[in-house]
Amino acid sequence: MKTREKLFGFQQKLLVLAMLAAFGPAHADEGLDKLIKPDTASVSAGVAVEMGSQKDRSIMGQYNGWSDTSSALLLDFDYVQRNEDTGTWTTAEGRNLGLDNRELRFSRDTQGHWKFYGEINEQVRHDPHTLNSGMTGVGSATPAVNTLAVVGAGAENSFNIKRRSYTLGGDFRVNSGLTLEGNLKSESKSGAVRSGIGNYCGPVIAGYRCATNAGALLALALPVNSTTLQVEAKANWTGSDYGVTVGYYSSSFTNDLGSVRLGSINGNLVDLAGAAVVPGSGTNTLGDLLLQPVALAPDNQAHQFYVSGNYDFNSILHFTGLYSKTHATQNESFAAQGLTVGAGLPASLNAAVDTTVAQAGFTARPLPKMNVLGNVRYEDVSDATPKALYGVTYINPNNSSQKINSKAEVSYNFPDRIRGTLGIDYNWVKRNVPAVGSTDLVIPTGSLTSIREHTNEVTVRAELRLPLTEELNGSLAYLQSYRNGSHWINLGNTSAAYPQTYQPVRWADAYSVTGIFPSNMVDRRRDKVRGAVDWAASDKLSLQMALEQGFDDFSAPTTTGLHGGSMNSVAVDATYALNDTWKATGYVNYGEQIVNQNHSSGYIARIANTTSTAGVGVTGKFSSKLEVGADLSMMGDVTHYGLESGNSSAAGKLPDVSYHVLALKLFGKYALDSQSDIRFEVISQNLGWDEWTWASAGVPFAYSDNATVSMQPNQSVTYVGVKYVYKIK
Amino acid sequence: MSLLRRLVTWCIAAGALACAPAVFAADDLVLKGDAACTACHDDADGPELLAIGKTRHGTQADARTPSCTSCHGASKDHLGYKGSGKRPHPDVTFGAKSAASTDARNGACQDCHARDSKRNHWDGSTHQARDVTCAACHKVHAAKDPVRNKLTQSEVCFACHKEQRNLVNKPSHHPVLEGKVACSDCHNPHGSTGPSLMKRNSVVETCYTCHMEKRGPVVHSHQPVTEDCSICHNPHGTTTESLLKSRPPFLCNSCHTPHGPIQPAVTTGTAPANAVSGWWNPTVITQGKSCVSCHSQIHGSNNPTSAGQRFFR
Repeated sequence: MKTREKLFGFQQKLLVLAMLAAFGPAHADEGLDKLIKPDTASVSAGVAVEMGSQKDRSIMGQYNGWSDTSSALLLDFDYVQRNEDTGTWTTAEGRNLGLDNRELRFSRDTQGHWKFYGEINEQVRHDPHTLNSGMTGVGSATPAVNTLAVVGAGAENSFNIKRRSYTLGGDFRVNSGLTLEGNLKSESKSGAVRSGIGNYCGPVIAGYRCATNAGALLALALPVNSTTLQVEAKANWTGSDYGVTVGYYSSSFTNDLGSVRLGSINGNLVDLAGAAVVPGSGTNTLGDLLLQPVALAPDNQAHQFYVSGNYDFNSILHFTGLYSKTHATQNESFAAQGLTVGAGLPASLNAAVDTTVAQAGFTARPLPKMNVLGNVRYEDVSDATPKALYGVTYINPNNSSQKINSKAEVSYNFPDRIRGTLGIDYNWVKRNVPAVGSTDLVIPTGSLTSIREHTNEVTVRAELRLPLTEELNGSLAYLQSYRNGSHWINLGNTSAAYPQTYQPVRWADAYSVTGIFPSNMVDRRRDKVRGAVDWAASDKLSLQMALEQGFDDFSAPTTTGLHGGSMNSVAVDATYALNDTWKATGYVNYGEQIVNQNHSSGYIARIANTTSTAGVGVTGKFSSKLEVGADLSMMGDVTHYGLESGNSSAAGKLPDVSYHVLALKLFGKYALDSQSDIRFEVISQNLGWDEWTWASAGVPFAYSDNATVSMQPNQSVTYVGVKYVYKIK
Repeated sequence: MSLLRRLVTWCIAAGALACAPAVFAADDLVLKGDAACTACHDDADGPELLAIGKTRHGTQADARTPSCTSCHGASKDHLGYKGSGKRPHPDVTFGAKSAASTDARNGACQDCHARDSKRNHWDGSTHQARDVTCAACHKVHAAKDPVRNKLTQSEVCFACHKEQRNLVNKPSHHPVLEGKVACSDCHNPHGSTGPSLMKRNSVVETCYTCHMEKRGPVVHSHQPVTEDCSICHNPHGTTTESLLKSRPPFLCNSCHTPHGPIQPAVTTGTAPANAVSGWWNPTVITQGKSCVSCHSQIHGSNNPTSAGQRFFR
């Protein structure tokens, strides 16, 4: 005791006190470090099972890795570390490592100086449908057709597209005013997609000759084996009142396959009228037409240079702008694609398309309470692809176009925080169309009734935002738009004789025109009104409501086509804090869309789609160790095809298409100790997709080789997953 | 001083040097100059606020790291309040009931982020013109900002975009809810030159980043494919395969005249009464792939023969 008193005299005590005063807080608060330092490292491992057959999982499992398996290892990891002295971050993340949609990510950067990162990403898209077929070599470049004796007697084929991408990137801050960025992404795609092949022929059909009229449809899987590569590099200059980016972006698509063709057709087919037909072989047979190769996507490339930026003239006037130039090419050899090249035709399309985009915009505050903005965007697509006669008389079209998109808007802040906005938008599209009187056949005869060179649309908007009380805010908006354009050009020359001459369509002749005009070009008037309310009803309850209604009215010099449409929707969302640790949410949505279409084949379609969704959820803590939550959601979607027939021999109406989902999700987390916890998740989902694309009332749609496509319409699946999470630090 | 006492003194001093402090001032807690704020908003009172230290905004080694007052203002009234009533709010707050103007709230962020290459078209953009604040989407104080994570980003967007919340739940959809595609993979919410805040200069250019096989150019092109993918597709979700807005033939018949006087119908297992032994019958034009059964290369074909002319091959 006496020794200690001597050892720890006044001077020593003073020194200790001084040390604690200077360094005590930073040193003693490990609890504080946990609140303010990002350093974490965790690993989670577990298992999950899905109860239900593969067919029960086909819709839910399209992208989540669960289509082909009913059990999987759940494996994730996460690592974050920051060096406090240098500001260097190191992060690594792995997600879904036990499933086919796994991801790995790594990055390292010294904040404010440099960064590099890498990522590997996998994704498999599983087609929820399966093909029952006698075809062999499904998904290859030369499958063989084998007609089934009866529908359903073939092998089941599934279709997947697997994507795997590798990304590398980084940036480097040269100085306070210059940063360089770059990234590279390579993605491979492999698998097959469901498609089809069909033809009709007859003794007098030019280009499709055969001895007697016959037609057939076959399912055909298109093989996919391609790679895309995207590279982007930017230099960003910044100053106190400006920012400019100069960039280069290149993208290329490489397809390992050029075409696919049926290798052989074995057995008779069932033609479009239900009669047996011998496909035959050799010139002028249906079989020969069906064996023609189908072109797959050719290799293509594009290079883009751009300058983009903003500038502050002063505190109330700002400018943004962009100029970009893209050169896109496609010069894949037809022969290399396995395609036949006619005499006198070039060996490749040698396509070249140059796209220029220029944009300029400003925002200003001419008065303290007034804001003004304006923006113009101009796009010019210049198609320099050489033209040639690729069909008997068909010339590949010129796809040049120009677009202008512009808007101007003024807002004013009225007293009591009311804000009013008036805006006007102008959009203009000019497409390359054959000149009146010209004879170039660039659009196949009979494929399109009419076209117009340009369309323009003017939209006028008025919006009001008003705080009704301190807790209640509302907004109301109304817009009206008018679309019209240049005169229509008649492409409906039904004569087989060439050359044909394009002529303007007169509105006076509209009563005698029965062809449909393109919906994105016809005159249109649109009216839409939108309202929203946001209400903080109390400290615990908040509500949001949104309403929208719109009407479309179409017109064109024809008796058929789109005649009008409407939409309306209402959404209500609520959040309620039950107490400090429990919260409930809920929502209800209803939407309806109707399109009225008059077809030249003598019927009117009134297609109405309604969607209803609702959900409730609750999350909270039973104790400091146990957090739980539950979500119940539902969706009901119905599309009604109201067909009124003008054709007295009509076969019948179309059934409704409906889709419904009811899903219950339970989740929880239990903290075993400060470093580990157990997490569980249970999801029970029932869904039904009742549609007639591939079958109706139990009767399948059959291809000409008796192949059928199916998907289990009602699916029920339960997922149970448990994982252990360990925090290394 | 005895040798032993000198030794003890030396040990204490050595310990002091070993525990040399980091960059903070003695009374700062998370950010430089935060002492006045964290005197009240400390780990006992508001631990969730301190999580900003875990973020990029809390990296002290980066000289650009802001302090509390960089975003919330000098807030002298708030700091210096001595009364017994409710303390005045800081100059700029970011919650739903904030009295600060949108410009003031966004200005705090814009002071540093206005010149980033991904945000240099913010002024005049749709969200900016609609008075959406940065804080409406971003949680700056949270250790992990939900909108910057693919798994949780869409929920943030759905707070306003209810229609898209419905659509992504439909059976034909992009894998948004599965966490493989985020809203920001196609849209730049901070502003862009493309329509609907498309990430690249146009709709087609954005879609081509993942669907580059559709770009062509090809011998036989389908005009709406080169103009705008959304003429036929709704990328958020539909109840028709391939994200089509409506089923063929109705989708195709919104631009093209049908082949003949046939009304769509579904198969009943027998040949339809008005079947025409030709191109079409009520079932063939309606079911299966409908028009695309024959016109299968609907995005365009590079086949130089007449077979490719109507997208047959």
